[in-house]
Amino acid sequence: MIILSRWGLSRPFIGSGSFPQRLLHPGLRFYATKQNAIQDESEWETVIGLEIHAQLKTGRKLFSAASTSYGETPNTNVNLHDAAFPGTLPVLDLHAVRLSLITALALGSRINSRSTFDRKHYFYHDIPASYQITQHYNPLAREGKLQIIQGDNNSQRTFDVGIHQLQIEQDTAKSQTVGDNTLVDLNRAGTGLMEIVTEPDMRTSEEAGAFVRKLQGLLKRLGSGDGDMEKGNLRVDVNVSVHRHGTPFGTRCEIKNINSVRFLQAAIESERRRHIAHYLTSPGAPLKQETRGLNELTLETFSLRSKEEATDYRYMPDQNLPAIVIDSAYLEKLREELPEMPWQVVDRLTALYDVQKRDVETLIGLDEYHFEGVRYYEDVVGGDKKIAKKAMNWIVHEILGQIGKGKTSIKWSSTLIPSTTMKEMINLIEQGKITGTNGKQIIKHLIFNDSSISLNQVLNELSIELNDNISNKLDISEICQQAIKNQSKSVNDYKKGNEKVLMRLVGEVMKLSKGRADAKQVKEILVDLLKDGNGTTNNQNRSLG
Amino acid sequence: MRATRSKLQSIASSIRPRLSDNQPTPYSWINDAIPGSSSGKLAGKTIAIKENISYHASPTSCSSALLRDYNPPYTATCVQSLLAEGAHIIGQTKMDEFGMGSQTTHLPPHYTPVHNPASPRPSEPPRSAGGSSGGSAAAVAEGSCWAALGTDTGGSVRLPASYCGVVGLKPSYGMISRRGVVAYADSLDCVGVLGRDVQTVEDVFDVVSKPDKGDMTCISSSHRTNASRILEEHLPKKGIEGLRIGLPKEITQRTAPSLLNYLKKEGAIIQEISLPSIRRALPAYYVLASAEASSNLARFGGGWYGSKNDQASEGTTESGLEKRKRIRTEGFGKEVKKRLLAGTWALSADEFNNTYLKALQLRHLLRKEYQSLFRIPHPLFLNEEKNNSNEGLDIILHPTSIRTAPRLQCYDANSQNGIKEYDQDLLTVPASLAGLPSISVPYEKGSDGWPLGISLTSQWGMEGLIFKLGKVIEDWSRNR
Repeated sequence: MIILSRWGLSRPFIGSGSFPQRLLHPGLRFYATKQNAIQDESEWETVIGLEIHAQLKTGRKLFSAASTSYGETPNTNVNLHDAAFPGTLPVLDLHAVRLSLITALALGSRINSRSTFDRKHYFYHDIPASYQITQHYNPLAREGKLQIIQGDNNSQRTFDVGIHQLQIEQDTAKSQTVGDNTLVDLNRAGTGLMEIVTEPDMRTSEEAGAFVRKLQGLLKRLGSGDGDMEKGNLRVDVNVSVHRHGTPFGTRCEIKNINSVRFLQAAIESERRRHIAHYLTSPGAPLKQETRGLNELTLETFSLRSKEEATDYRYMPDQNLPAIVIDSAYLEKLREELPEMPWQVVDRLTALYDVQKRDVETLIGLDEYHFEGVRYYEDVVGGDKKIAKKAMNWIVHEILGQIGKGKTSIKWSSTLIPSTTMKEMINLIEQGKITGTNGKQIIKHLIFNDSSISLNQVLNELSIELNDNISNKLDISEICQQAIKNQSKSVNDYKKGNEKVLMRLVGEVMKLSKGRADAKQVKEILVDLLKDGNGTTNNQNRSLG
Repeated sequence: MRATRSKLQSIASSIRPRLSDNQPTPYSWINDAIPGSSSGKLAGKTIAIKENISYHASPTSCSSALLRDYNPPYTATCVQSLLAEGAHIIGQTKMDEFGMGSQTTHLPPHYTPVHNPASPRPSEPPRSAGGSSGGSAAAVAEGSCWAALGTDTGGSVRLPASYCGVVGLKPSYGMISRRGVVAYADSLDCVGVLGRDVQTVEDVFDVVSKPDKGDMTCISSSHRTNASRILEEHLPKKGIEGLRIGLPKEITQRTAPSLLNYLKKEGAIIQEISLPSIRRALPAYYVLASAEASSNLARFGGGWYGSKNDQASEGTTESGLEKRKRIRTEGFGKEVKKRLLAGTWALSADEFNNTYLKALQLRHLLRKEYQSLFRIPHPLFLNEEKNNSNEGLDIILHPTSIRTAPRLQCYDANSQNGIKEYDQDLLTVPASLAGLPSISVPYEKGSDGWPLGISLTSQWGMEGLIFKLGKVIEDWSRNR
């Protein structure tokens, strides 16, 4: 798929054959291609700002009733307005405005009480009206921020990325060069976009990647976009400049139309190397301000056009569209209805239940739009802090582990194992009525068989008998002691410091108990027994399992 | 009055619309379809539409060579409204290319001219029908249609109405949907109505003035309800008794004292008023209209519709940009090119603040000045205080044109015309800039025997008020 720049190129640059030769001094290749060859890397700072175009997930175009489904026959989702037929007028989709508003609110932006639409003019075949309807003078929102946490996409620090502005605008048509012809598909023309412009607050490619990933999560959670870069539903332009610490910012270059986080990071790295190489070899000459593209094969950037070639877009208010005036009560309502954001749920669950961030993120990943995974987890826990960590393990490691094994085509859903069944099962294990090994059997059974049956039925089908809590422990203690007697050599080895032989003792217990003992529990009891030197233990006061 | 109207209608039925390759005619297209029986408020009525109003059955070329082969795949909302009430679209009428001009002389080479049919003597040399809706005005005046739709951006309905001796209405901005009307300047364009008398115009206006979800600038029904309520409150109870009429002193063309005396006798209060910013607002009009035109007409030449020239480059090495240049160079006429260049310049980065934004400010000033004159509240801004309810105006009155229709051949050559046109614009452009309803009613003959119209302008949404005064003037004019 080819996505053309829609930023007013006065001539096509796709399909021209070869990429421009990089005019590098032969001796510079060393710097330009080998990152670690740059001496004293730490003396340079990279300044990064992003411009993100995210398609609004409304199902229809911003100013016409045509559908926006992806992958249709070219030029079938086209309304007369999308093709700029004379006399057609734009009719704004208010749903798109609502989605943009909640996105701006989730980014902590200040919503303009009155925002307006403008026309950005340029002649090119991907824009039938020869102007794009955008928000140049009064964008929907300004001054937001998104926090990047240390560790997000290997980011080295926790910091805020400022959002300069968020505006609503039209997408362009897609065009493709086939032989001598340029083919234009209007299916995408007029699709609603949010353009999100950040402040130049990022300093590494990882930080820029972290921002894009975080924004993708935000869009999905709000339902305002799908953040799909592969389909071109989210596209990134990145501004990069490099300077020595303590000196003014360097010349800014923009790399356009990047369609994956990997390419984004590669583009930044390529640009950083290029700038440093320039400053090292031509300290007197200013770097040329340019718009550049990324060669996705070599992962290096190439010049598209210089600043002097920039188009005058002749921005003008669009008189066919009334200003968007947002009632403050409505805005308050939208703000109150904002769903919990991915980073908020991570903070909440890790603080409340002392669970791992990575596990919460796994739950979020199960359904980034409606947080089904998170909801399922919370249903299973039911506010019971005692079982919160166990429940996380059972869901993330056992259920998802079972699905992930082998070639199962089973997808997780909240009905795969009903949360009530799951909660019941975890409680039985906690009470010691069944073992962890039983739990694994039950989960496997429910995943691959009818999950609507009750836990009792599952226990029946698997011939698992409930153990009385106390006798169970006594039984196991006795069996353990029996095992210690049976395996005196192992006991001696263990006491000499060979801890590996403990597994031999565990095996003996399992044999004696005919597999009904919980291996983990057995291990703990054995350790205790051996520590006390064969003495009796006070199991009752110790948590199990 | 009744007798006069029926006499005019009988004349109308005797003239058939015609097309011609060598004779002057107002029409660019004639509907060959035979109208069936119809019902509705306009049943059996024949209506002509200006060539920039889309009708699926006809070409809609805006009298431009560039759109010569263009056939719109849809019908404008206003035409749909006419058809729904039983009207028969009898044909499309010639215009100045894309609405740019005031004589209907900016026509493509393959068009025959439009002659003004209001000649007092057959021996007179042909005169202009005015523009840009000259075809529509001439069609109504010659009697080949019952009424016609035009468009008015800065006077394009009112001026030809005055020249041709018919009634021409430019409604309040946003009353009639623009969906399907090929845009010249979106913030100024209004669909207008031309007819031989005020009642005809009012009947057509009532049919086409309605909300349209397809045009976001078309006024909603709740605002229309407000406007109707305010109109009811301000319509004089008896005749025009107590109606407050203002004559702007900045306009040097005098209204016949006999008319003013008659209106006073009927109970109207007439006073001189001042609209000081109208002179400064005039350059603003040219900046705004040209700037918007340069944007709206930028779509032509891209190859999506239009003339056969669009396809001419298939199989050649012509690039998209070269093709666009060729189509626009060959397709647009001189006047259009002039305005597009001016508009493009006004929007360029270096000029925008000092040209386009200044023009917007001047337009805003003019609107404020109008609002301070009217005692009727603006239905769209009811929160704004009106503190001059006793002294304020209901209607502003002045001649529509500085002269009778000019002769066709000599107009272009006259080097003085630039200034004269400027004076002419002073009479029609202010109401366009302010978005106010304005009607031109024929009221007397000039010394050369050709017709002259009088313009009535009122508060936004007060079409009913200008219809009322218009009918009084119409009666006076016929009974002289």
